[in-house]
Amino acid sequence: MISRVAEHCFWMSRYLERAENIARTLEVNANLLLDFTVPLEQQWKPLLIISGIHDMPGEPDGETVQSYLTWELANPSSIASSLAAARENARIIREVISADMWERINYYHIWMNSSAARDLYNRNRSEFYCQIKRINQLIHGITEGTMSHGESWDFYLLGKHLERACQTARILDVKYHILLPTPDHVGTPVDSAHWMAILTSCSGYEPFNKKRLVSELGSSVADFLVFDPLFPRSVRYCLARCQRAVHAISGRPLAHPRSEVEHAIDLLVRWLNLVKIDDFVKAGLHEELTSVIKRIHRIGDLIHRTYFDVQIRDWMQHVPETPSGTRSESDHPHEFTAVG
Amino acid sequence: MESRDMATQEQSTETARTADPESHMARWLLFNGYEPHPTSWDELFASPGTPQAHMAPLVERLGELSPAEFQKLRASADLVFINQGITFSVYSDRRGVEKIFPFDLIPRPVSTSEWRTMEQGLLQRNRALNLFLHDVYHDRRILQEGVVPADLVLRSKCYRPEMVGFDPPGRQYLHVVGTDLVRDCDGRFLVLEDNGRTPSGVSYVLENRLVMKKVFPGLFERFRVRRVEDYPQRLREALCSVAPPAAGDSPCVVLLSPGPYNSAYFEHSFLARHMGIELVLGQDLFVHDDRVFLKTTRGPQSVDVIYRRIDDDFLDPKTFRPDSLLGVPGLMGAYRAGNVTLANAVGTGVADDKAIYPFVEDMIRFYLSEAPILPNVPTFICARPKDRAYVLENLDSLVVKAVNESGGHGMLMGHSATKAERSEFAEKIRADPRNYIAQPLVTLSTCPTWTDEGLAPRHVDLRPYLVSGTSTWVLPGGLTRTALVRGSLVVNSSQGGGSKDTWVMENGQ
Repeated sequence: MISRVAEHCFWMSRYLERAENIARTLEVNANLLLDFTVPLEQQWKPLLIISGIHDMPGEPDGETVQSYLTWELANPSSIASSLAAARENARIIREVISADMWERINYYHIWMNSSAARDLYNRNRSEFYCQIKRINQLIHGITEGTMSHGESWDFYLLGKHLERACQTARILDVKYHILLPTPDHVGTPVDSAHWMAILTSCSGYEPFNKKRLVSELGSSVADFLVFDPLFPRSVRYCLARCQRAVHAISGRPLAHPRSEVEHAIDLLVRWLNLVKIDDFVKAGLHEELTSVIKRIHRIGDLIHRTYFDVQIRDWMQHVPETPSGTRSESDHPHEFTAVG
Repeated sequence: MESRDMATQEQSTETARTADPESHMARWLLFNGYEPHPTSWDELFASPGTPQAHMAPLVERLGELSPAEFQKLRASADLVFINQGITFSVYSDRRGVEKIFPFDLIPRPVSTSEWRTMEQGLLQRNRALNLFLHDVYHDRRILQEGVVPADLVLRSKCYRPEMVGFDPPGRQYLHVVGTDLVRDCDGRFLVLEDNGRTPSGVSYVLENRLVMKKVFPGLFERFRVRRVEDYPQRLREALCSVAPPAAGDSPCVVLLSPGPYNSAYFEHSFLARHMGIELVLGQDLFVHDDRVFLKTTRGPQSVDVIYRRIDDDFLDPKTFRPDSLLGVPGLMGAYRAGNVTLANAVGTGVADDKAIYPFVEDMIRFYLSEAPILPNVPTFICARPKDRAYVLENLDSLVVKAVNESGGHGMLMGHSATKAERSEFAEKIRADPRNYIAQPLVTLSTCPTWTDEGLAPRHVDLRPYLVSGTSTWVLPGGLTRTALVRGSLVVNSSQGGGSKDTWVMENGQ
């Protein structure tokens, strides 16, 4: 697969996933505020913080933050920007994705720019965010059912799960930023409502409820969202999927990581398999989540260097001498020497 | 001339065959009140209310639609284009304002016999142009014998000394050609321009047909229209047939595009998709040891044939423009070493140069000893003192064209230009006569086209496509471009033109 094409495929998938996750956080935050009085400063600002935004123009009141995270094209992590970027990536690799995928992605691009989308946003905000979530869910279904499950599919899955792992860690980290009025509020209805809101924004409320509480609510929710082996949005699950994707790309067995990416993911997954939520809580949940997010970013950088931006001089060590041998060679994965 | 005879002959039988126009007119809801252009040839009507004989069944069938029904179909066709993102981007904005290429639902028909002649004429012209290119870069017989002025060729901006003495695989230079034809008021097809560099527009031919089949399934059952859908497969086969011998049985063919911000990116992606080949940008390729490789996630993969949609100038910064970021450094070396086939070949611009165009009929006689089947539009070459004097004296009745411009730019339409514009062009011609040619104004044929005031005649041209590997195939029909403004003779998409589906009829219809 052409490196550049793989890169577009990876990012198309990430941006679609990102749009869905922004909608999730916006929706759940709005719901939470219906039930509890939270100081204005704390209502919407956490959403900016977890998106890494420190310079939004204007006051961080509800309408401004929602509009900034939904529509603002100057904000590269708004829903509108993410969907536009996903569509642009799709357009560039139109010959790789399926016709059905393209038609849907393009359809929603047109919809986002129509008055119908604005009307829905103004009239029924919660339905609007549901609609945004459905875009990615629908396109994922179409992709699964219509795009060849070859390398492009592996890059699609890699992008999706890397983004999702990162977003789940971030959503969980919101809790750190929503300060309770006093330490006495731990375990009160306000506190549990926060945790429930976080679960709901990850579609985790019902699967979580089916499990028995291992300890107090906060730790249990964090445990579920970070470590659950089956829940498709938990950090550990997503990273395990990333691991499968990179090994599908290289064709090497999971037990034998060789490239830098494979090593980095392997280390993180193994670490998540070993540590327990109590270790996280002891070390500080926020600190541990920050460290996980940093390691995910590092994996993103390695993906870039390994697949998308390999230097020619490193490649040429692998070019066989005769032209006729070259083609068959491409069927056998090469080792990559990453560029230092 | 052969084709003129044929057209006149057909015209007379048509008039004889058309029966009882009055009774039909009432049933032709859609064409009710359609007034053909007073002087130009109409592709559907011989005279007001009387269809061209072989088009009568089509007119009758389309005429059953009411304008309101037609409007609905139009809206549904536009929606197909928008939903499928079949758009071209306008250069002005990097983020790209995407527009759909206006599409008109009334097909432009070509009869079986007209097509047969046209096809022969195109094949003949293509053979001569290919021989001319080989000659120019080898023996230069045609220049030595003075049939084509040597300085006109050797001083052309498109002449590439790098190609001298080099034999492209299969001696094929022109793998894809789009020839612009127009029809004058006598119904004669004339060649307006040869496009032998990187002609575009074929994706619209295929998409237009797809949409027409969705909108008018019944029409295609009733009329036998020749298929155009084989184009991508034909092109792929042609390109494989001229791969370097070392490539083996399944050569790696790629399409090299300037990138997603190019206005024709949709077409590049469309063709790559339908040909089943990779679309690549310059940055995806590199040259090592005179061989071209593709950068893949699993390492380098060697490339055998490049269908390039990038001009010569930008192909290889080491050989041509050093500032080009679109090309591949070292590509010309690999090409000259015979390790990769470029389609079209480098340096084909000397064959479709507007200054060389007037000599194509002579080339046909010179190389093939045949009479040209498709005539040129008479052309004055400003580099010749006699022609130049005539042109300068008759600017108000001529069309002047800069020889290296395309897309309808650098043109003077003498009859409609202001005095200031004419004197500006006169200055330009005197300053650089080599850069200009002039032609009498050809009143392009018209075809009924939907406008805000209902159906009205609008001028059209026709661009058939030829695909060549070791043999040549002509796509039946081609792109019919239509001016959308009343009286306008400029059909270029960059200047607001639209397009139509072109129907080459089977079985003598």
